[in-house]
Amino acid sequence: MSISTLFENYSEYRHIHPVDDVPHNPYKWAMAIDLDACSGCNACSVACYAENNLPVVGREKFAHGQAMHWMRIERYWDEDGREFPDQGARFLPMMCQQCEAAPCETVCPVGATNHTPDGINSQIYNRCIGSRYCSANCPYKVRYFNWWDYPTTDNVWPAEMNQQLNPDVTVRGKGVMEKCTFCIQRVTVAKNDAKTQGRLVRDGEVQTACQQACPTSAITFGNLVDPNSTVHRKWQAQQVELDKDEQTKDMAEGGSELRGYRIYEQLRPFPSVMYMERVRESAI
Amino acid sequence: MMNSDFDRRDFLKVLGWGGASVALAGCGNGMVENGKETVVSYVETNDYMIPSISVYFNSTCAQCDAGCSITGRIREGRVLKLEGNPESAINRGKTCGLGQAGVQNHYNPDRVRSPLLRTGDSGEAITWEKAYALIGEKMHGVSGDEVAFLTGGMSGHLKVLLGNYLDSIGCKNHVVYEAIAPAVVRAANKKSYGVEMPRININRAKVVLSFGADFLGAWVSPVHFSQQYAQFRKGVDGQRGVLVQIESKMTITGANADRWLVVRPGTEGILAFGIINALGTQGLKLSADIAAAVKAYDKERVSKDTGVSAEQIDKIAALLKARTPSLVLAGGAAEGYAHGSQNAAAINLLNHVLGNVGKTIEAAAVVPFPQMEPATGNTAALKKLNDDLAAGKYKVLFSYAANPVFTAPGAMKFKENMAKAGFKVVFAQYLDETALQADLVLPLNSPLEDWGTQVPEYMAEGAQINILQPLMEKLHPETSGMGDILLALIKQRRAEDYKKFDDYYSYLRTALLQNKVALGGAGNADDDVFWNETLSRGIIKLPGATHAALSGKSAVAGLSLPAPASIDAQYPLQLIPSVNASLRDGRNTNQPWLQESPDPMTTIVWDSWMEIHPSKAAELGISEGDIVEVAGKNGSVKVQAYLFSGIHPDAISIPLGRGHEALGRYAKGYGVNPFQILDVVFDKETGELALHETRVKISKTGERVIVVKDEGPVGGRQMGQKIAPKLPSDKVNLSGEI
Repeated sequence: MSISTLFENYSEYRHIHPVDDVPHNPYKWAMAIDLDACSGCNACSVACYAENNLPVVGREKFAHGQAMHWMRIERYWDEDGREFPDQGARFLPMMCQQCEAAPCETVCPVGATNHTPDGINSQIYNRCIGSRYCSANCPYKVRYFNWWDYPTTDNVWPAEMNQQLNPDVTVRGKGVMEKCTFCIQRVTVAKNDAKTQGRLVRDGEVQTACQQACPTSAITFGNLVDPNSTVHRKWQAQQVELDKDEQTKDMAEGGSELRGYRIYEQLRPFPSVMYMERVRESAI
Repeated sequence: MMNSDFDRRDFLKVLGWGGASVALAGCGNGMVENGKETVVSYVETNDYMIPSISVYFNSTCAQCDAGCSITGRIREGRVLKLEGNPESAINRGKTCGLGQAGVQNHYNPDRVRSPLLRTGDSGEAITWEKAYALIGEKMHGVSGDEVAFLTGGMSGHLKVLLGNYLDSIGCKNHVVYEAIAPAVVRAANKKSYGVEMPRININRAKVVLSFGADFLGAWVSPVHFSQQYAQFRKGVDGQRGVLVQIESKMTITGANADRWLVVRPGTEGILAFGIINALGTQGLKLSADIAAAVKAYDKERVSKDTGVSAEQIDKIAALLKARTPSLVLAGGAAEGYAHGSQNAAAINLLNHVLGNVGKTIEAAAVVPFPQMEPATGNTAALKKLNDDLAAGKYKVLFSYAANPVFTAPGAMKFKENMAKAGFKVVFAQYLDETALQADLVLPLNSPLEDWGTQVPEYMAEGAQINILQPLMEKLHPETSGMGDILLALIKQRRAEDYKKFDDYYSYLRTALLQNKVALGGAGNADDDVFWNETLSRGIIKLPGATHAALSGKSAVAGLSLPAPASIDAQYPLQLIPSVNASLRDGRNTNQPWLQESPDPMTTIVWDSWMEIHPSKAAELGISEGDIVEVAGKNGSVKVQAYLFSGIHPDAISIPLGRGHEALGRYAKGYGVNPFQILDVVFDKETGELALHETRVKISKTGERVIVVKDEGPVGGRQMGQKIAPKLPSDKVNLSGEI
């Protein structure tokens, strides 16, 4: 295989991970986000700061693009040159899409970012050397680098404020990459509880922090392998399949009347987050 | 809940405190009783304190007045996170970003830690004994008429206790001031429906027509309405709800509308009449008086006045006529004018015309303890206080949960007038602008370390009383609860009556136990059992609460709408001070999560900005990042410009909440405070401040900055990628959705 063949036919050589033999048994964590319900209020984002010990970087560092919001709300406008945005804005909660064939994983020189058997793209902080290749290769731009040592930076966690830090989550130091973990600390507790009791995690037993806060319940999280889970049924109802890079329903003539889609599906990262399109009334 | 069969492992179980003495000691914090640090032995701990295992206690969020119930996660004596309490009909387990930041209010490094006495320009820490003695001394020989007690909105037993204190000193001057409360809409609702705050059912409406009611952002009870909204989008009888938002500056609710219509500022009432007129034209039967009132408001005229096209008015009317029931809301943007009451009344009239009253607008449940109902008020009350202060009427001024030096229009000169009061006592968690003017500052507990009850103004379903209880040990030994302070003050007057209450906790407990049966307890229930169950729930749901029927009439007598205001040659632009869901009137600005939480519309953080329509900006040669001077009759501010197409070209908007000169390290020096440059215009009927009546002119200063915001250099564009697409409703099949 020459290097030019690789470049021309890269997607054929991409490795879908985990491979097809025993995929995701018994868990595959995934999400469905209903953009018609999402109001763009930012509650999820603040809840994520509270749960995951995210540093507040302040105005100057924010200006340099060093914000650490694992969960951010993107806001888009209609692009047809209308004078007023008379059909509103489009909000999109964006966080790590926990790709099955994550572009970030293949480029990490030290294997700090890798895949867990239950389908989460995990980041090993004390293995990370800060090359930032993963961030460069992430199509969603959801990886956040610690340019500063926030625990010792003034007014990030001053006295008393540090007492709020979640003891279940590491406080990251300078030079490591971090990102959304699907609240793996909560998932782990639920898995351990279930294991102790000799069962599987029940649907709804574990909620991510963003999901729990969301005032419109736009976020669904759960086990995609479990045929009875809400998230599985949502993916199924929307005919979105995890291991496709183009969904069958979208290939039909005239497109699909279903709202489910994944962002940058054509790049073959096989993201674990399905969004459901925003709807706008046509009678008004 | 702390009974003998308590399961150690079942840590999700929600507990109630047995009393103040069992409060958990947090790492490094002192005990309540003696202020000493205590080493807790884990060999034999309390049942509910297991290292590394969280326990959960219910309380009530105090970040705004909506009264969402919260569950605090506590580990090793520290509260770590707040979640919604699923048992509450108001928030049903959900929280907003503002609520999440409650822990940052609690752990804030800028809290006042001891009583402070002013000596000249500096403050000196004093003891509580000295502070109380000083108040006793200053109150000596002062008649009740010479005392004023200013508060924010308050309810529950704290309000009762304050009433008792004011009674004991013969004072009738309880001034309630909430800077951005919907005071005009309350008054209009009272006329239209017979109640100030009816229960609204967005989830039962097929169409919601909102005139500037930002119910997904900062209006009344946003977490509750957000849940109703989610149901509304899922559909009533399988039909997805349609939201039409009419306002001059896009709010987050407007950004979620199916149709957002920009309206000339102040003409909301005219548009409402125009829609009624169009409904009549389309065959809806109108009563004779209403038909007469709207006769002159044909769609051509209304379109000319409001800027909304005649075709659009017809479409709205057709939609409202075809899909019933609907719901029409009057919000902050409609009430902020000298004719705000008229605007709100005209908008409310639509609900009568469309037959929504009794369907999507109902009477709310009423708490059968009127003395605990929330005290509300706005600038009309503050204006009277301000005038009296200017006249030198008061020898002693108390202030609690209000920051008028920051929020009153600068032209009212509240700061100068406040100085004329002889002795000023401010109860505060922070040294905010008002506390800085005080002679004595008394440090308050955070709401997460305090006891209390709260009655929400907006009742979601059944009536409920919310409980506040400490989620952890006090962080600072020298802070005190407002209830404890009031109890100490009242004992200065009526020691005998109150001697059995050691603290506010015992007062609260006694007061609630006295009404055990009315509060839903069994008559023969053990006091401790009832009390612990109440605390563990964090909510008292009142079984026998009544729903008064709506009694308002659809009378149009006296309803007259002024013609659209002509453009002022000297000050050609209308200033819209916008209310951001996180920062609101600025009391929470020192919570850094909120400073760094991007504004949903502009994605700007840590600063103020001026929104201006691109067409107007082009006319004036302004581009993004230009520092412009926004000048009105009462002063000016310099602020960065942001080009925003969701605003009327003849208006500009600056958000409220920033521009603090005090409060703390995360608030001071960030942004500008538009309250300071407001024109002092009042609604003619209610006398409340007309927040949107300020006229300004803008000029470039020549300075430029890079706007600090979350959106990238391409702004809100998707560059041809399918990132956040949208589907028209006739191209989507929602029937099979889960």
